[in-house]
Amino acid sequence: MKVIIDDKEFEAEYGEYILDVARRNGIHIPTLCHSDAVPGQGSCRLCIVEVYERGKNKVVVSCLYPITGEIKVYTNSEKIHRMRRNIIRLLAARAPGSEYIKKLKEEYGIPEETRFKVDEKEKCVLCGLCVKACEKLGSMAISTVNRGATKKVAPPFEEPPVDCIGCTSCAHVCPTGAIEVREYEGKRVIWNRTFELLKCTSCGRYFITREQYEYMKNRHGIDMKELLCDRCRQKSTAEKLVSLYKKLLVKKTLFQCYRLQKD
Amino acid sequence: MNGMVQVPRRTVLVCCGTGCLANNSMEIYKKLKDKAAELESGFPVIPVLKATGCNGLCERGPIVQVLPDDIFYCKVSVSDVDEIFERTILKGDVIERLLYLDASSGKRVRSFKESEFYKKQFKIALRNIGQIDPSCIDDYIERGGYEALKKALFEMSPEQVISEIERSGLRGRGGAGFPTGYKWRQCSKTNDFPKYVVCNGDEGDPGAFMDRSIMEGDPHSVIEGMIIGAYAVGAEKGFIYIRDEYSLAVRNVSKAIEDAYIRGYLGRDIIGSGFSLDIEVVRGGGAFVCGESTALMASIEGRVGEPRVKYIRSTEKGLWGKPTVLNNVETWANVPVIITRGVEWFSSIGTEKSKGTKVFSLVGKVKNTGLIEVPMGMTLREIIFGIGGGIAGSGKFKAVQTGGPSGGCIPEALLDLPVDFDSLSDAGSMMGSGGMIVMDDRTCMVEVARYYLKFLSEESCGKCTPCREGIRRMLEVLEDICAGEGREEDIELLLELSETVKEASLCGLGKTAPNPVLTTIKYFESEYLAHIKEKRCPAGVCKKLTSYRINADLCRGCGLCAKRCPAGAISGKQGKIYEIDQGICTVCGTCREVCRFGAVEVAGRATE
Ligand SMILES: Cc1cc2nc3c(=O)[nH]c(=O)nc-3n(C[C@H](O)[C@H](O)[C@H](O)COP(=O)(O)O)c2cc1C
Ligand code: SF4
Ligand code: SF4
Ligand code: SF4
Ligand code: FES
Ligand code: FES
Repeated sequence: MKVIIDDKEFEAEYGEYILDVARRNGIHIPTLCHSDAVPGQGSCRLCIVEVYERGKNKVVVSCLYPITGEIKVYTNSEKIHRMRRNIIRLLAARAPGSEYIKKLKEEYGIPEETRFKVDEKEKCVLCGLCVKACEKLGSMAISTVNRGATKKVAPPFEEPPVDCIGCTSCAHVCPTGAIEVREYEGKRVIWNRTFELLKCTSCGRYFITREQYEYMKNRHGIDMKELLCDRCRQKSTAEKLVSLYKKLLVKKTLFQCYRLQKD
Repeated sequence: MNGMVQVPRRTVLVCCGTGCLANNSMEIYKKLKDKAAELESGFPVIPVLKATGCNGLCERGPIVQVLPDDIFYCKVSVSDVDEIFERTILKGDVIERLLYLDASSGKRVRSFKESEFYKKQFKIALRNIGQIDPSCIDDYIERGGYEALKKALFEMSPEQVISEIERSGLRGRGGAGFPTGYKWRQCSKTNDFPKYVVCNGDEGDPGAFMDRSIMEGDPHSVIEGMIIGAYAVGAEKGFIYIRDEYSLAVRNVSKAIEDAYIRGYLGRDIIGSGFSLDIEVVRGGGAFVCGESTALMASIEGRVGEPRVKYIRSTEKGLWGKPTVLNNVETWANVPVIITRGVEWFSSIGTEKSKGTKVFSLVGKVKNTGLIEVPMGMTLREIIFGIGGGIAGSGKFKAVQTGGPSGGCIPEALLDLPVDFDSLSDAGSMMGSGGMIVMDDRTCMVEVARYYLKFLSEESCGKCTPCREGIRRMLEVLEDICAGEGREEDIELLLELSETVKEASLCGLGKTAPNPVLTTIKYFESEYLAHIKEKRCPAGVCKKLTSYRINADLCRGCGLCAKRCPAGAISGKQGKIYEIDQGICTVCGTCREVCRFGAVEVAGRATE
């Protein structure tokens, strides 16, 4: 079906999200809480656009608005621009410590905050991605606590989380770099919990926590002998391929010899 | 009959709703019941005692009514029981001092129905409240209960039920006024099973108690409405979601469900019709936002009560992703009446686009407070000055706040506004669930806006940026203004943030949260300016912007203010003009309250 974005016509599939169509066609809409790995947040509201549908006009979030009929979309109308600037200002007042937010602020020419009280160290914008990622993984070690202005992401009772396996998925998915991970002397610290790291059986590099290994063993049946870091695993896969290829080659040659003998 | 004279009965209705129970009404009920049991047989009257649900007059409770004499007693205490029994129940005498005091006329009336408060009301949703024992299904049936269900199941097709509700013009009473028939049709059209019906009894608005009253006092009307709705859309399971604090409502609704099962109105093959439905009570998650439809459904599913983006309607994908009809308590309670009395009758009440009645909880600075049910389209003036009896005390009307915490404040100039869904939203406010708070001229409108924003900032679920951060920053600005730290550009900033919060928030909480700010700026901008520019709170409420002065021309030198001032800030001699020491005064306002000559006046911030 057809969809008109910023006065240009594009093809879209029924039910496809506006953001996906826009991205495919090189139209930039800023996002924060959208992640292909953990979809469905709709919380940051940065990706708002104006939609005209059946004579009505409304503001929606493009990351979750499905195209199901003839619509016209404006990704940067005057109104959207004004409101997006306000949202960035609010985000910046909340999380001035984040580099990503600082960049957004510069990009949109938002002046230094002089009206609101800010906490310079804060980096989290409460998008919820970390909680969702951890949930999806099955650990559910962190969650949001409280409501309203006092809401925050925290482990239960704000103590080092017992269910955490130290996988750092939360930190990786966080768009604002708000989750701190430190590694030293065979240890990893995240959410104030210290984990022992295990070495790669091939290159000897520390790369995985014991809890992560246990988790993988129980879930996916991987055992200690195959404990390879990403780099070594790639290498080992490549080596396996080569040997497989060699075996095939030998077979082929033998076969040819056999044919020759027969003829 | 056999030449015997039939012994007359006197029905005694004792209110045992949450409010009256808190004032010992259960003891009154028990004591009356004991006395009735002790009565020798052969006595010329038989007293029949009933415990009813909330009458909506909790401030005047406990309430005791005697029928058929139609005597209505308020503020009854346990010590009145003997007298009520001896005089009223046995003899039919009226005890003057216990009668309802009609604040509008200043007279005590024998029957509540004679009061100005009652006369202008029109009861549909509250039809049985206070008249029946909610734990007794026969009481409900005696007043026509479950007739609508029989009519729907045996004389109407689901399609006919839907079209009847559509034509009645019934709109949702839970907030947005969404057309109920349209919602049902959407759900019935969706070809996906199972389907669900849900009753929203979360009622999170502080001070509102209309839904509580219905669930406590007439639970079967809600259940009957839901069975009819379920039949219409093809649902096989229903949930009644009740606010956690409402323990009596939970008890009464649960009992009613049990009884409905016993009588065959619920369960398999309802009264032989072939249609089956189960209903279950779910206790609320405890937050204001849990009343929002998607948060409520998440909460029923056992997840955190947070709203989610709903570009696909609940009538297609609701509970567990299945088609769901969710309606408010009052909406459901209207349904049986529409089915029995018909569309013509129902749609003759109300205005063109808002049919029927609406229940309000009328509170604040009016003489008569309580639950009221009025036809849509009645003006605010008729409600506040007619039913409410006007402003209590010596103050003057200033504004009325409708629609709960995220409603708006409507000024005197709009008092002739007909109350319906559309005119309230045109005025920048909303119907909401039916809160109505009357404010007098001693109310500071900036402070009112601050108060509601504070509530909303705490109740926002905190999921989306505009609502969580926007409300918090608007509150910061309002707090500054009330503290005398407001800046010239603050009004502009509030307006701009309001737009973003309203338009870009995820759910209805954020989308309506700026209303208190927008309406107070729209109708009372001069008060904002007085705070910001003149550092003065005209109503004398914001302490940092208020000082009191004694007007020498009005002071008669009685010295009362000096005697009452808790800080000892007032000095003077009897017969001479008194004076307030601004350095000691704590701006508590006592002197202003007590001066009988209006000599204590409000001034701007003290300049010491
Ligand atoms: C923050 C918020 C709180 C709400 N609280 C309630 C409530 O307590 N009771 C209610 O019936 N509807 C409440 N609603 C409205 C519901 O989302 C929903 O629209 C309504 O229950 C639908 O029923 P109706 O069509 O019969 O009005 C609330 C909405 C919002 C945004
Ligand atoms: S820590 Fe990062 S991912 Fe988690 S809520 Fe905050 S900003 Fe989002
Ligand atoms: S608008 Fe407010 S209450 Fe609604 S989802 Fe956003 S933060 Fe939560
Ligand atoms: S203001 Fe009133 S109460 Fe106070 S001293 Fe004067 S007359 Fe008395
Ligand atoms: S990216 Fe769409 S709401 Fe956050
Ligand atoms: S509880 Fe008795 S009037 Fe409300």
